[in-house]
Amino acid sequence: MKYQSFVGLEIHIQLITETKVFCSCPNNFGDEPNTNVCPVCMGYPGALPSLNEEAVFKALKVSRALNCHINEKAVFERKNYFYPDMPKNYQISQFEFPFGINGYFDLELDDGSVKRIRIHDVHLEEDAGKMIHDAYQSRLDYNRAGTPLLEIVTEPDLLDGREAELFVQQFRQLVRYLEVTDGNMEEGSLRCDANTSINLPGKGLGTKTEVKNLNSSRFVNKALTYEIKRHAKVLDKGDTIVQETRLWDEGSSTTRSMRSKEDSHDYRYFPEPDLPPFRPDAALMARVEEAMIELPNDRKKRYEAELKLTSDQAVFITAEKNTADWFEAVLAAGADASQTAAWLSGDIQKILNKEGKSIEQSPFTPERIKELFDLINSNRISNNIGKDVLQAIFDEDRDPSAIVKEKGLEQVSDTGAVEKVVEEVLAAHRAVVDAIRAGEDKQIGFLMGQLMKATGGKVNPQLAREMIVNKIKRSE
Amino acid sequence: MSDIKRWAKALTESADSYKKYVGSWEEKIGSFLQFDPEAAQADSSGQGLLAVIPFGVKDNIAVKGFNMTCGSKILENFDCPYTATAVENLQKAGAVPVGKMNMDEFGMGSSTDNSALAETHNPWDTSRVAGGSSGGSAAAVAAGQVPFALGSDTGGSVRQPASFCGVYGLKPTYGTVSRYGLTAYASSLETIGVCAETAGLTRDVFKAMRGKDIMDNTTVEYKPSGKDDVETVAVLKAGEGDLNVDVLRSYKTSIARLKDLGYKTVEVELPTLKYVVPAYYVIATAEASANLARFNGIRYGLAAQGAETPSALMEETRHSGFGDEVKLRILLGTYVLRSGFQDQFYHRAQKIRTAILNDFNRIFESADALMMPVFPTAAFRHGSSDLTQLQQKAADLYTCSANLAGLPALAVPSTIEEGLPVGVQFMAPAFEEERLFRIAEKLEAVFPAQKPEGYSQEWKA
Repeated sequence: MKYQSFVGLEIHIQLITETKVFCSCPNNFGDEPNTNVCPVCMGYPGALPSLNEEAVFKALKVSRALNCHINEKAVFERKNYFYPDMPKNYQISQFEFPFGINGYFDLELDDGSVKRIRIHDVHLEEDAGKMIHDAYQSRLDYNRAGTPLLEIVTEPDLLDGREAELFVQQFRQLVRYLEVTDGNMEEGSLRCDANTSINLPGKGLGTKTEVKNLNSSRFVNKALTYEIKRHAKVLDKGDTIVQETRLWDEGSSTTRSMRSKEDSHDYRYFPEPDLPPFRPDAALMARVEEAMIELPNDRKKRYEAELKLTSDQAVFITAEKNTADWFEAVLAAGADASQTAAWLSGDIQKILNKEGKSIEQSPFTPERIKELFDLINSNRISNNIGKDVLQAIFDEDRDPSAIVKEKGLEQVSDTGAVEKVVEEVLAAHRAVVDAIRAGEDKQIGFLMGQLMKATGGKVNPQLAREMIVNKIKRSE
Repeated sequence: MSDIKRWAKALTESADSYKKYVGSWEEKIGSFLQFDPEAAQADSSGQGLLAVIPFGVKDNIAVKGFNMTCGSKILENFDCPYTATAVENLQKAGAVPVGKMNMDEFGMGSSTDNSALAETHNPWDTSRVAGGSSGGSAAAVAAGQVPFALGSDTGGSVRQPASFCGVYGLKPTYGTVSRYGLTAYASSLETIGVCAETAGLTRDVFKAMRGKDIMDNTTVEYKPSGKDDVETVAVLKAGEGDLNVDVLRSYKTSIARLKDLGYKTVEVELPTLKYVVPAYYVIATAEASANLARFNGIRYGLAAQGAETPSALMEETRHSGFGDEVKLRILLGTYVLRSGFQDQFYHRAQKIRTAILNDFNRIFESADALMMPVFPTAAFRHGSSDLTQLQQKAADLYTCSANLAGLPALAVPSTIEEGLPVGVQFMAPAFEEERLFRIAEKLEAVFPAQKPEGYSQEWKA
C-alpha cells in the first residue's frame, strides 16, 4: 500500500468493585432489573455522588502499570448529553486532569520485536444504564448505571488491524493480571472503539474515522483492516475522507456510517462541583506501588530465561495470572520447573478443560501436585500410574499418597517379587525369548507389556526391563 | 419557660389552636406548599436541643413523608423517598418538620413569584413579595407559623427574603452543612441556610444541622479559629446610587447603632463587587444547565403524554414542565459552556470568584466582620412595576458575593421603614459564624423584634 496508516484505541473496562463508583449500591448488573439502584445512581433530585476509593485505587493501579504520570490533582468533570439510560443526563468523567497521563505500553509484535505504544490517558467515569428496544416499547435497566468504568486512550501509534488486535489481547491480559476487571469482551466488560487514518508517508495523520463498540479483538482487526482499505480506495479516487463515527457490521463484514462530525455532541465539559479534586496521598501511592506485580510479558521472559521453559510453555502458563501464580506455588513447594510445566500444559490442563474448572478452584493444590511428583520421582509409582492418580485427585479431592496407598498402586520394586513375575512371563513366552536372543530387541517391549498386564502396571518398569534383559542374556 | 420551649406545645397540648393559627395566616400569605405536622413526626427523636419544635422546610429539600416539588410543575407530584442529611440532623435534635415552603421554581428568583404552584405574600403587606427564592420560609417565620424554616441560599435566597420579612437569615460557610438532599441549582455556590425568629435560635439550628457527611464529599470539618469576639467591623461604603432612600436611611442607622454598641468601625470598599453579578450568573446558570438535565420524565416526576420516542418524551416533558425563568437560565448556562467559549465566560467567572475572595480576605486582615446591605430595596410589589426581572438580578450583588467566596453571612433585621422591615448583612471569615451571632445578639437589644400585624402567639398560652 502506498499509504501509511495510523490506529488509536479507546478501551473501556468495567472495574470489579464491591459497590458502584458514586454510591453504595452493589456493582452487579446481572441481577433482576432496577434492583441495585438508589437515589444517587437514579439521579434523584438532591442526591450527590460520593467517590468510591476502591475504584480510584484500581484506576491508579492501571495508570501505574501503563507507566503513566499520576496527576497530583485529579479532577472529575461533567460530560453533558441527553440519553434515556443516563439518569442525570450528564456523565461524571474526567477530562483535563485524569488520574493518569503520558504513559506507554510495550507491545510484543508477531515477529517477537517490541513496539512502544504511547498512552494518552487513563480516566475514571461512570457507566450508563441499559436500554432495550422492541417493536412497541423501550425498556430501561439502571443496575449498570453508576458502575465504575475506566477508559484507556492510546495515541495513534498502532500500524494496522493486526497490531490493534495484539494490543487488545495483551492489554486484556495485563488488566486481568492486575485483577481490576474480568475483561470479558463478549459480555462488554472490555469494550473497544478504534480510530484510524491514512496518509502518504511523511505527511502525518490523515482525517480519521472511528469504529464503535467492537466486542472481540478479532473484530477490531477486521474492522480496521476494512477501514484502512476503504480509506485507501477513497483517496485513490481523489476523494476526501469524511470525519465520522462508524459501526462494524459483522454480518456483512463492513462498516457503515453512524454519525458525522457535524452531528457530534458538544459535551460542554466543566469541573464536577459535587466532587472536590482528588489528590492521591503518599499512603495511597505506596499501596499502588505495593500492588504492582510482575507483568505478563516480563514473567514470560523470566520463565524462558531462568526456568528454561519452552516458549510455548511460557506463553501458555503466563496467559492467565491464576495459572502462573499456581505454577509458582508448585515451584515454591519444591517441585521442578520443567516437570511442573510439562504436567501443567499436558494432563492437568486436559482434565481442567474437560471438567470446565479453573485451576485455583480445582482440587489440584500445589502441595498435592508436589507430592504426586515425589511419588513418581522416587519410583514409588510409574509415570503412567501418576496420570491415573492425577484424575483420582480431581475426582476424589484427596491427597495422592492416600490414593496410592488405598488403591495399592505403589509399584513393585522388590527384586524377589519382580524376579518371580519375570520368570513366569519368560516361561510363558519361550518363542519370544528366542527371538530376542536372535537379536529382535524390539520384542522386549512385548514382554514388558505382558508383565504390566500381569501386574496391573505396578511393577517398576526399569527394574523389570533390566531383569528381563539380564535373564535372557545370562541364559545365552 | 423559654419561648422556644413553648413552641413544643404546637405539636402537643396546643396542636389544634396551632393548626388554626397557621391556617389563618395561610389564607393571607400562602407560605406553605404542604402543611402536615404528622407526616414525618415519627422520624424525629422527640428529645434534644430542639425537642418537638416545629419547623418548615423549603420545598427543594428532601423530607421523606412529604412531596418535593421545587416549586415546579415538573416535580408537582413527586413523593420524596428520602430525607436530606441536614433535616435528619435536626430530627435527631428533636425538631419536627411540619411542612414544605413555597419558593421560586428551583430557587431561581428573588420574589417567590416564579413558583409554578402557588403565590406567597409578604406578611407585612400582602401586595408585596416575601422575597426569594426562600420566600415561603421567611414569610412563615415572620408570621409566627414556625420559629424557624430551612431555606437554600445560592445567591442570597435566604438572606434577601429574611430581610424583606424582618427575620434572621443565615447562609453558612460552604461545606459546613451537607447539601445531600438539597435539589441542586448551582452546586458550587449554594448551601442550606436557615430563617429564624431570633439570633440565638439561628445558632442552635446551625449547630444541630451542620457536620461532615459521607453523602456529600464537599462537606468539611468545622474548624473555627476560636476568636469569637468582634471588635472591629468593616462597613461597606454605600451611597444614594447604591441603595434606595429607605434602605440607605436604615443602613446609616445600623452604622450608628454599631458605633453606639462600642464596635470600632472602618469604612471599606470592594473593588470587585461590580463584577460579581455577571460572574454569579455565568457560574450559576452553567451549573444549573447540567443540574436540571435530570428532569426528563423518565424515572419520576411529570411525564409528557403521548410521546412516541424516548427523546420526544424528554423534550415534551421539559417543554411543558419548566417555567420561563428556568428555561432562560438553562439556555444561558448551555450557551456559556459551549466549547470554545469557556475562557470567555466560565473560566473568567472563576477568576472573578478568586478576586472577590481576595477582596474579602484583605478586609478580614484588619476587621473581624464586615457589614453590608442585603438588597438595595425593601420588599417590592408583585409583578415588575417596582423592579424588572433584570433589575432583580442586578440587585443580587450584595448577597451573591458571599456565595462566590463561600463565606458565612447573616441577614439581621434592623429598622422598619415606611411600614416594611429592612435588614442588614454581616459577613465573616470561613467558620466564624459565631461572630455573626454575637453581633446579631447585641443588635437585638437595640433593634427589638418587630412583628407584622396579625402576629400572635396566644395559642401557646
